[in-house]
Amino acid sequence: MKSKIFEHILSIVFVSALLITALFAVTDTSRRDGNGGGKYQSQQGLGDIGFVEINSPFHRALLQDVADIFYPGSHDRNVSLVRAALLMQERALSDRLQTAYVKERLTPAKMAALAGMYVKFLVVYIVVMFLTYYGVQTLAVWQFVRERRRAGAEDSLGRIIARLAGRLASFAASMVLFSPAYVIAYSMRTDLNTDSTFFMALLGVISNGLLMVYATKFHAFLTAESRKGYVETALVKNLDSSYDAGRGGISAADILRPFKRFDGHVFDHIYRNARFQYISTIKEQAAFLITGLIIIEMALNIHGHLCYEMLRQMLYKNWDVVIAILLAIFYTVKLTELVADAWAHRAALRYENSTARP
Amino acid sequence: MSALRCEDVRWAGLWFGVTAALGVWDLLFLNRPAFKRVSIGFVNTFAIAFMTAVCTLVLGWAAAVGLHGLESKGRRVRYILITFAINLARSVPQIVGILFGYIAVASFRESGAWGAGVLMFPLLALCVAVFVFPEMTDLIRERIAHFSASDFYNAMRVCGVRERRIVNLHILWRNSRIHIFNKLISVFGMAVFLLCSVDFIISVGLSSDVNEVSLPVTLGGLLATIDSKQDILAIGYTVTHPQYFPRLFFQHLQGVTVAFLIVFTLLCVHRVSTGFARRHRL
Repeated sequence: MKSKIFEHILSIVFVSALLITALFAVTDTSRRDGNGGGKYQSQQGLGDIGFVEINSPFHRALLQDVADIFYPGSHDRNVSLVRAALLMQERALSDRLQTAYVKERLTPAKMAALAGMYVKFLVVYIVVMFLTYYGVQTLAVWQFVRERRRAGAEDSLGRIIARLAGRLASFAASMVLFSPAYVIAYSMRTDLNTDSTFFMALLGVISNGLLMVYATKFHAFLTAESRKGYVETALVKNLDSSYDAGRGGISAADILRPFKRFDGHVFDHIYRNARFQYISTIKEQAAFLITGLIIIEMALNIHGHLCYEMLRQMLYKNWDVVIAILLAIFYTVKLTELVADAWAHRAALRYENSTARP
Repeated sequence: MSALRCEDVRWAGLWFGVTAALGVWDLLFLNRPAFKRVSIGFVNTFAIAFMTAVCTLVLGWAAAVGLHGLESKGRRVRYILITFAINLARSVPQIVGILFGYIAVASFRESGAWGAGVLMFPLLALCVAVFVFPEMTDLIRERIAHFSASDFYNAMRVCGVRERRIVNLHILWRNSRIHIFNKLISVFGMAVFLLCSVDFIISVGLSSDVNEVSLPVTLGGLLATIDSKQDILAIGYTVTHPQYFPRLFFQHLQGVTVAFLIVFTLLCVHRVSTGFARRHRL
């Protein structure tokens, strides 16, 4: 565990140093560029003439005389040179005016605004993480129990029709669950306010295939555990193994419970061991979840949210603000990895009956 | 017939059949310019996704075998550095990394550098593969670790067989290619999802920096066009007005086709991967 913590801290320090250095470099470059149209004039071979006032006839005449002194015998060329330089200075001023509203710097006020967006992002992320953690396990358990029930059931016409209807409904539900968030959101835009935080959290749970992919993984863990020797030993020793909904079996309430327990049933042991293995997959799930939330915010252009703000600042090339947002997202990922590693380590210590300190 | 009993074969066949039927339907009822755009987007998406799977395999295999070699030779510093770099790539949200990669590739294209046009597809595939290959590396390393503890590994070492041959041929090719192939199927699905999402985001939010001249059109970019967005709005309208349903197949064909292709492909790839794993008891 110590080596994992050390690695996490090292990567946080490395990436922070890299991005903060880039931040200072970008800030310095933009400060130099903001000092006027010097680059325009220097291309004309006149040096930096940012101090020349375009609207002053005296300054224009003085510049012309200076050009004639420095480049004697080419008056016509000097006239066109000065005219071009002044035109470029006008254009530079016009550009600055047009982009004034999109050029932003990482000021304390901007950082405070970003902090508010980050808190909103974290709240949505944590809520969606808990919901998907519950949803993944519930879906996987329901699928596992349904397979066991179906294996013992006798085929009748009613069952076949019910199974076909179930498969159609399952197909339709799968199409929704595998839809990218922007497909669902754009199809609902006329009927719902898709810019709300609630809708964003809902999309984070049901879209992008997150639930289906990780429910399949958890189901694979359950299936692998059910084939192990200790399960067969428990079955031989008459531990409850009925998956029917009745007494001694597994009911819908058992499956839907947030903190699942199947006391006295062999599935309790299968579930606990599968859940232990699943803890290390949470890091991967969290990274995919963050990817999904970023897609949702960017694709739906949800104003006032962190990832859409990053896309907007990328468009306007305000790289200092982009770097600050990138750092915030990176810290979120790293914090999740730290928590997942710590949780996996604690669970491993418990199952190894060890009281040794990490 | 026995092949059709396999879930993965069934779903693969279903995907081919439905896609072909959709192609015929679009040929009949979608206007020619839109049909051409959808066809090009479809081909581009799958070509780049396929190249991503290939790049992921190459990068993941090289990283895993390289790390195993460094670990067994005791070269701790290089081992730690490479592991650190891979973990760093794992910590970056994939969509963010790919987005910046796309911007870099678009700038490279616009610079007019030699070969920029030809290298577009491989470069885009590499952008995605860099953030996906750690999963492949983990799988291959797990397989190497599993078989390194077995008797045949030590027996072959004692007989003088080179470790490189044992790892690459006996462990990975002969005993793990099914696992690697199964992983490549899910990588393909992930690539389709990421490519469409990034292209959608770029088309919606960064169209002044990166446009269809600099990047190839994929299904995601097509979905971001105003025509497709209106077609997708019609899908939601149908939910509350079911009598509008038949019109989706004639009037709103471009957006419905693109959205359906993306969603159906992702579903089928997932089912093929699950079925394949179940069939081979992975």
